[in-house]
Amino acid sequence: MAEAVVASVATEVAVAQASAVGMKAVGAGLAVGLAGIGTGVAEMGIGAAAVGAIAENKDFFGLGLLFTVIPETIVIFGLVVGLLLLF
Amino acid sequence: MFKPEQMSRLLIAASKDQMEPVIRELYRHNLFHIEEFVEQGKESYAGFRIGTPLPGASEKSGELIKIRSIANAFSLKKEEMEAAAKERSSAIKTKIESDLPALEREIEDLLAERSKLDAQVKEAESKIEMLRPFAGIPLAMDLYRGYRSIAVFTGYIKSDVSLAAPHEKYFAPSKESNFIVVFTPLQHAKEVENALVSAGFQSVPVPEETGPAQARIDHLNSQAASARSQMDAIAKKLDEIKSGHSEFLMACEELLSSDVEQAEAPLRFATTAQTFVAEGWVPTAKLAEVTEGLNRVTGGKVFTSELEVDLEHDSVPVEYHNPDFAKPTQMLMDVYSRPRYTEVDPTLMVSIVFPVFFGLILGDVGYGLILLVMCFGLRKFLKGEEGRMLLVSLRNASIITIIFGLLFSEFLGFELPWHPIIFSRHLGIGGEAGSSEAAIPALLVMSVWIGVLHITLGRGLGMVNHARQDHGEHRMKAVFANFGWLAVMWGILIAIWANFAIPYMPDLTGLPAIAAGINLGAVIGGILILLGVIFIARESALDIVELPTIISHVLSYTRLVAVGLSSVAIAMVVNYMSIGMFIGPSLENFTLMSIVMIIVGVLVFLIGHAMNTALGILGGGLHSIRLHYVEFFTKFYKGGGKKYNPFGMKRRFTEE
Repeated sequence: MAEAVVASVATEVAVAQASAVGMKAVGAGLAVGLAGIGTGVAEMGIGAAAVGAIAENKDFFGLGLLFTVIPETIVIFGLVVGLLLLF
Repeated sequence: MFKPEQMSRLLIAASKDQMEPVIRELYRHNLFHIEEFVEQGKESYAGFRIGTPLPGASEKSGELIKIRSIANAFSLKKEEMEAAAKERSSAIKTKIESDLPALEREIEDLLAERSKLDAQVKEAESKIEMLRPFAGIPLAMDLYRGYRSIAVFTGYIKSDVSLAAPHEKYFAPSKESNFIVVFTPLQHAKEVENALVSAGFQSVPVPEETGPAQARIDHLNSQAASARSQMDAIAKKLDEIKSGHSEFLMACEELLSSDVEQAEAPLRFATTAQTFVAEGWVPTAKLAEVTEGLNRVTGGKVFTSELEVDLEHDSVPVEYHNPDFAKPTQMLMDVYSRPRYTEVDPTLMVSIVFPVFFGLILGDVGYGLILLVMCFGLRKFLKGEEGRMLLVSLRNASIITIIFGLLFSEFLGFELPWHPIIFSRHLGIGGEAGSSEAAIPALLVMSVWIGVLHITLGRGLGMVNHARQDHGEHRMKAVFANFGWLAVMWGILIAIWANFAIPYMPDLTGLPAIAAGINLGAVIGGILILLGVIFIARESALDIVELPTIISHVLSYTRLVAVGLSSVAIAMVVNYMSIGMFIGPSLENFTLMSIVMIIVGVLVFLIGHAMNTALGILGGGLHSIRLHYVEFFTKFYKGGGKKYNPFGMKRRFTEE
């Protein structure tokens, strides 16, 4: 009787641990994915404006590229959260 | 090294007959940055006007324009050409007199002929387009016109239509749209038109041609073909001329440009009826050389004097003063903005730290080697000074990448036969679960340390800049405000260390508690934060809103680890897919299919790693430079310096 209770508690703990790992994975995925959407939306307008400016003046290429990737910070923070969760 | 090149302000005054030798001498030195004279009515310059160009300027300008248009027609670009040998300018001058007019006339004739033939071809092609629909109808073109009692309808229609009125109809079906021609007596024209329009009729004008349509089209085609072959012959002739004379043309262009620039220099000087005055900037180290040259050329009949430099109101032209290995980074600085004359020049720091960041992100011996090979391979394509500088900085970055790859023990995502000397980045992709040795918390803490130290350096430079540039009460306030930002950052850090034990960071949780369980470290941290906020608010209360940027800027440096890890992950996934899933199993049970699988595996390997290299270069370069521009420069760098543009030209195709 006692072995059955211990066994069921052990499987419950194992199931809880497995679902904790699974939830962490889901959390990491959501972190990176949603942050990616935010970055994409942010770089959309900037990138379009940068392409227009470069079409007018080729010298603007360096600054335009720089402006376009400034929102990368958002997705990097998402990646850091994901890494912290997974490891 | 940390300051731009020191400049002196030079004043040159002489009589107008000395103007030409002075201009030639200044042009030869290529050191004098002319301060243009603007007739603004300054008292010291009352009565001065800008000068008139030297004699011969307009003819030379005309010649220069002709040569430049020829170079344009040949698509010759000066930056891309390498001079085989420099020609003497006197030899070129005689050649200009004798050869150039004939050469120009020949080229202009050929170009005119070519554009005429081009117009012929275009005309023939448009006529063919108009005739094409009529080719399916077996009627001569002149039968469509000139009727007095018959109406003609020609055009496209959706489907064949049967008409009640007496008519003659020709219908040519085709894939895109059917062509229909209807002849009908004038009295029935209206009803025929309505019937056609209701069936989707689109009229097409009848071209002015005679004879059967198809024969006409063939004739026009042969006309266009002969015109095109004539154009090819002209193109070949032009190519011959181009290969034979391109260097001569470039040398002429260089000589004439320099002559025109020198001839138009008096427009930038201040002149009176008999004299002229030129003000400008010369690097202090070369000042003696320039004045001595001027004295020699004019036989002492020139007055030169060094004026005082007013650092507040003069806009001094800025030229970099960096050791040779930092020169390619000057291009990166110019993309942002040239330093001001009075501020610290961070080029040297960027040139050391930028490749380190790049190496940290990419950190793989295999990719470093690929970059190095690309560097040498691109030498053929990127000529010109800017291309060379880019290649040198790429070479430096790839060498540091190889060093970091050896430290991280990575080769194209595979492990090298030794343990990583610094923190490991080997994620456990493709192996058993839990085989990841990646020390991710340690890596993240390392990147935060790099961020803290880099930002501290930036704020320190900010203090130095404000101490140098500002005056009076504002100066001390600005210096203390920058110190305040530093105090807040380190205060937050000390408070965190006092409450949490973070690996690889000083652990202050063991310090004695002062009151209510608050650690000594937390108290010191709190005092620093308070002090910092007060100093910041003294300069400008609105800056308090920017306090959270301290945390976000420091955390921004974690991208060094994050982007690097993603590059490692992609490499390991590519390896697992190509070797673990395609090549490995195929080698074990070898059948005919295995050969296909092995080829697919090799393709996956090559394409995957090529894309990862491209991503690594883009990601590594952009993120590293962005960390400099946004997190480092905003702490101390203003920029906006005037570029040093000396009067003169670096001669590549000619020499004196």
